[in-house]
Amino acid sequence: MRAGADDAFRRELTARGVTRRDFMGFCSGVAALLALPRSAVGQIADALATKPKPVLVWLEFQDCCGNSESFLRASKPTAADVILDLLSVDYHETIMAAAGHQAEAALEKAITDHKGQYIVVVEGSIPTGADGAYCTIGGKSALQIARTVCRDALAVISAGTCAAFGGLPAASPNPTGALSVGDAVPGIRTLINLPACPVNAENLTAVIAYFITFGKWPATDRLGRPLFAYGKTIHDNCERRAHFDAGQYVEQFGDAGHRIGYCLYKMGCKGPVTSQNCPNIRWNEGTNWPIGCGHPCIGCAEPAFWDKMTPFYAHLTGVPGFGTAADIDKIGLYATAGVAAAMTTHGLVQLGRKAYDKRKAAAAKPTEAKPTESKAVAAKAADEPADKPTAGGAS
Amino acid sequence: MVAPARAPATPATPTTPTPAEHGGPLEPVYVWDLVVRLSHWAIVLSMLVLTFTGIDIARPFLHGGSGKAGFTTGYVRVIHFYAAQVFSLAVLARLVWMFTGPRRSDWRQFIPASAQRRRDMIGTLKFYLMLRPSPPPATGHNPMAGLMYLGVFGLYVLMILTGFALYSVSAYTSYMHGWQFLLGVFHGAQGARWLHHVTMWVLLCFAVQHFASALLTARVEKNGTLDSIFTGYKFLPKDRRKDDE
Repeated sequence: MRAGADDAFRRELTARGVTRRDFMGFCSGVAALLALPRSAVGQIADALATKPKPVLVWLEFQDCCGNSESFLRASKPTAADVILDLLSVDYHETIMAAAGHQAEAALEKAITDHKGQYIVVVEGSIPTGADGAYCTIGGKSALQIARTVCRDALAVISAGTCAAFGGLPAASPNPTGALSVGDAVPGIRTLINLPACPVNAENLTAVIAYFITFGKWPATDRLGRPLFAYGKTIHDNCERRAHFDAGQYVEQFGDAGHRIGYCLYKMGCKGPVTSQNCPNIRWNEGTNWPIGCGHPCIGCAEPAFWDKMTPFYAHLTGVPGFGTAADIDKIGLYATAGVAAAMTTHGLVQLGRKAYDKRKAAAAKPTEAKPTESKAVAAKAADEPADKPTAGGAS
Repeated sequence: MVAPARAPATPATPTTPTPAEHGGPLEPVYVWDLVVRLSHWAIVLSMLVLTFTGIDIARPFLHGGSGKAGFTTGYVRVIHFYAAQVFSLAVLARLVWMFTGPRRSDWRQFIPASAQRRRDMIGTLKFYLMLRPSPPPATGHNPMAGLMYLGVFGLYVLMILTGFALYSVSAYTSYMHGWQFLLGVFHGAQGARWLHHVTMWVLLCFAVQHFASALLTARVEKNGTLDSIFTGYKFLPKDRRKDDE
């Protein structure tokens, strides 16, 4: 850090009990999380200390406030908190001092004064049913607010699965017509989706640190998720992966394999179909993560996870018409056995009828009596007189 | 292939003999060319391997034992991937052959494009429902079976695409990563996984039906259908209707 230019920043750190060592550790962590080389650490530290901080507006719609909780969960002040406080968060309903008209005025001021320059973090899905009546703030619907605020934003970060993909509110039958931010507000300049229930604060911090350092946004995938955080599946980074490859599975919670730490695949773990960096950065300041403490992944960071990933303790969802908890393999086995039984019955009837026809013909033959054709044969002769009697092919 | 010795039996009822009792002389007809037969058996064998390994991947029953540095599920998956390559290439070859191969491997065997095929399809359905004693003549696939196989090939393609989509998830450095766009089509990897699994059961049902039908047809129609997928030859009456040849 350059001396002088960042005295204020350093004083701020000291005032909050964050040492320079803590701060550099944080910058190294961000660089590692973004898969940047060691040389980027100084760059990030420099940028965070000296560059002007963008204005941040935090909108909260249809959600449980879990993402804010995740963000504010720190047991002690960390460097990350300082960074975010310095972001000049001009509007955040949960943590701001202002209330009522004052709060709304702060939002209005932030988006007019910094038009096109502010960052919006959205938490929660946006209900569109009943003209948006399911979620209103200060007399305006979530949809109205989101459209007004997001339209002129430099970038919108959808924090959490609700904002990114609709999440729980959008789960079938989606009574409020909930939409993700991307779907509800088309034409956002830059949209970064950070799904997970809740968002992992480390990823949100890293995205913002990346922007402050490099002046651009990290590369994203087809769903708008930053590749550094969502480029790999949980399964491919899992600390229990070796047990999967070896064929060592937990068969039941509390069994010997579970106590040793075997793979949770057979307990319905959705790690193979879920992309996130949980195994690397973990949760609660790197303390642990679900699979680390013996619970299968529930796939919370994927689109429509409440519909697609349930039952959480089964490999697949059920079959429509058989219930969501129906066992596909049982249905499949019955169906296959049913086909086998039907074909056997059909075959026996067919062969039996043939044998009967033959015997009848043999009985009729000595007397040179009338032909033994059935009604169906007569019908067929009428139907298709051109057909020559010939071998068919049912191959 | 040796022609089965057939004593020229007197037709029981001269007006309406079933094919099996058709007394006229038979002749071997080369129906299934080498590509058709080879692709058929490549598909059968790879499907057997894919089903076995696939069920183990979905709900593992082969266990690595405890305390060993094994690679059980790892090997099962590798075998699944190699078998999938055989399967995909066999299906691709057969699909290409539908447009480049000889007449009885042609796409017209599957899609009832002509009025005659459609008429025969109804006739065959009636035969299957035991409403008429003999099926309309068909040298290659009968029109009903052909239509069924069209659906089966559709399921093959679905199987391949859902499989590719699932494989693309972790194929970070391979060209197979390009199939990731399919994840959007199948509602994510979990959606692809569900379709892949359910389609397997549908194909298993088909396989059982197909095998039973082949046995029954061989027994009832006595035209060498079952042998034909090994040798290529069916034995058909010399005076058969030849308009589809």
